[in-house]
Amino acid sequence: MTLRRALIVIALAAIVAMCIDPRLLLMPFVDRAPYARALEGYPDRQWPLYPRFLEGVHAHTRPGDTIALIVPAMRWDNGYLYAYYRACYFLAGREVLPLVDPQNNKLQQNFRNARYVAVFGVTLRTPADVVWKGEGGRLLRLRR
Amino acid sequence: MIATLIAILSLIVLGIPITLAVDRRARGPLLLGASFFYGSGAMFLVLLALSVLHIRWTLISVTVCALAVFCAASLLARRRTTGNRQRAAGAHVFDLATLLTLTGYGLDATLVSLGAWDFWAIWGLKGKVFLEMGGIDWRFLESRWNVFFHPDYPVLVPLNFDLIALVNGGWSDRWLGLLFVAWAAALLLVVRALAARETTPFFASLLTFSLASLAVSPWVGYAEGPLIAFGGAGILFVRAALRDDDAASWRHGALMLGFAANCKNEGLALLVAVTIGVAVAGSRGLGGLFFRRKTSRPRNLATARLWPAYALAAPWLLLRLMHTLPTDIASGSTLSRLMARLPYLHQVLALLGAQLTEPWFWIAILAGILVAPSAARRGELFVFLVTAIQLFFYVAAYVVTPNDLHWHVLTSWSRLTSHIAVPITFAVFLMLAKSLRGSQDAPHAEARPDE
Repeated sequence: MTLRRALIVIALAAIVAMCIDPRLLLMPFVDRAPYARALEGYPDRQWPLYPRFLEGVHAHTRPGDTIALIVPAMRWDNGYLYAYYRACYFLAGREVLPLVDPQNNKLQQNFRNARYVAVFGVTLRTPADVVWKGEGGRLLRLRR
Repeated sequence: MIATLIAILSLIVLGIPITLAVDRRARGPLLLGASFFYGSGAMFLVLLALSVLHIRWTLISVTVCALAVFCAASLLARRRTTGNRQRAAGAHVFDLATLLTLTGYGLDATLVSLGAWDFWAIWGLKGKVFLEMGGIDWRFLESRWNVFFHPDYPVLVPLNFDLIALVNGGWSDRWLGLLFVAWAAALLLVVRALAARETTPFFASLLTFSLASLAVSPWVGYAEGPLIAFGGAGILFVRAALRDDDAASWRHGALMLGFAANCKNEGLALLVAVTIGVAVAGSRGLGGLFFRRKTSRPRNLATARLWPAYALAAPWLLLRLMHTLPTDIASGSTLSRLMARLPYLHQVLALLGAQLTEPWFWIAILAGILVAPSAARRGELFVFLVTAIQLFFYVAAYVVTPNDLHWHVLTSWSRLTSHIAVPITFAVFLMLAKSLRGSQDAPHAEARPDE
C-alpha cells in the first residue's frame, strides 16, 4: 500500500467517523421519557402558565380582535420579545399589539387602539371590564 | 400523527407523476425521494397560487388543485418516453444503519410538540397565521411590528405546515416533526441513488449512512431541514448533470434548487452560487473532467439549463417586492456597515473559526481534499466552488449585518455551515473512494443511466 493510499483510507475513515451521530443510532433503544419531560416546558420555563393564559385569551376573543399585551418584563430584549411573539403564535388570527418596540420606546397608541388588554403576571389599574381571569392573568376590555 | 402521515403520503403520490414527467427513467430510491420533493414543492405552489387568486384554502380547494397538477403531470409523463429505466440500486447492510439513523431522528423530532424559538416566532407562526386567514396574510407580513420573523423569507415551509393542518382539520404542532424526517429521507434516497451511479453498493451505502446524520437537521421546525434537503439534492443533481451531461439531472437539479430558493433566503444565495459554479466549472478548460461524453450543446449554455430554478424563485421575489417586505440584512446603510467592519475582517473570520461546530469534521473534509490526487480534485471543482461561494456569501452577510455581530454568529453560524455539509461530504467521499479503487469511475458501478 502506497503512502497516498494509506492517507486516503485514513481520510475516508475519519470522514465516516466524524459524520456518524451515535445519539441518533441509540435513540430507539434508550428511555426517552426523561428527555421528553425536560423538553416539554423548555420554551416557557420562565413563565410556565403563560401558554395556558394565552389559550384562555384565545378562547375569549374572536378573529380580528386587537389585543395589547402587558407582562412583567416590559423591555424588548428582557422578556417582551418572547412574550409578544409567543402571544402572536397562540393568538393567531387576532392582532397582537406590542406596547414596547425593539428600542424599548413605549407605544401608547397601541394601548389606545386595542380592543382588549391581556395582562399576565402583573396588576393593571385602569378603567376596564374583566372579560376573563385565570392562569395568572386577566383579559380586560378597556372602557372608552 | 395519522393526519401528518396521510399528508406526507399524499405529497409522495402527487410527486410521482411530476418525477416521471421530469425523468421518465426514475425508479427505486430516486423515484421515491424525488416524488416527495416534488410533492412538497408542488403543494407550496398550489397554496401560493390559491392565495394569489384569493381562493380560500380548504381541503377541497387544495385537493382539486392538486388533482389538476397530478393529471397534468401524468399526461406529461406519458408523453416523455425517451431513455430506458435505470436499474435499481442494490441494497447493502449499511442501508439498515441509515434506516436506524432516520428512525432515531424520527423519534427525536417527534418527542414533544415543536417548541424551538424560530418555529413559533417565524416558521410555525406564519403557518398558523396563514391557516387562520385561509391564505397568505399580507397585512400580517407587512405589519411594522413583525419585522423579527423575517417577513421577506419565502414560505415553502409554512405552507407545507398548512397542508398538514388542512388534512388534520386544524393546527397542531405535535407531529409536524415527521415532515422534517420526510425531507431528510428524501435527500438520503436521492444521495443513495446518485452515489450508486458512480460507485459500488458498499461505498454508496456507506456514504449514505455517513450523510444520514448531516441530512437530518437538529433544528426541527426551522427551514434548515428542507433547505439542506432541497439544496443538497439540487447541487448533487447539477453535479451529476455536469458529469454525465444528462438532461434529466439538469431538470432535477434546477427544480430542486428552485424549491430551495423558496425555503430561505440562503436558498436564493445557493442558487446564485450554483449558477457561478456551473459557469466556471462548465466552461472550457476547467470542466474537461465533468464532460466525459460529447455534449450535444455548447458548454457555455450550461447555466441556461438552470432557468427552471429562477422561474420557481421568481413568484415569491415578485410578491415580496410588490408588498415591500423588508430584508433585515439590507436595512439601513449596508455600505457604511461594510466599510466599518472590513478592517476587522480577520477578527470576524477568527470568530467564525472559533465558533465552528464540529471542527474535526471540517478538518477531515479538508484533509480528504488534500490527500486526493489532483485529477480527482479537479473533477469535483463544481462542488468545491459552490461550497466556497456560499461560504463567502455567509461571511459577507455577517460583515454587513445590522445585528450585533457576536449574537448573529452565535445564533446562526452552526446552522449555516449545516447547509453545505452534505454536498461537500458527498464529493470528497466519492473522490477518495474512487481514488482508492484506482480509477475515476468504478468498473462495477451500478445503475448507470442508460443512454
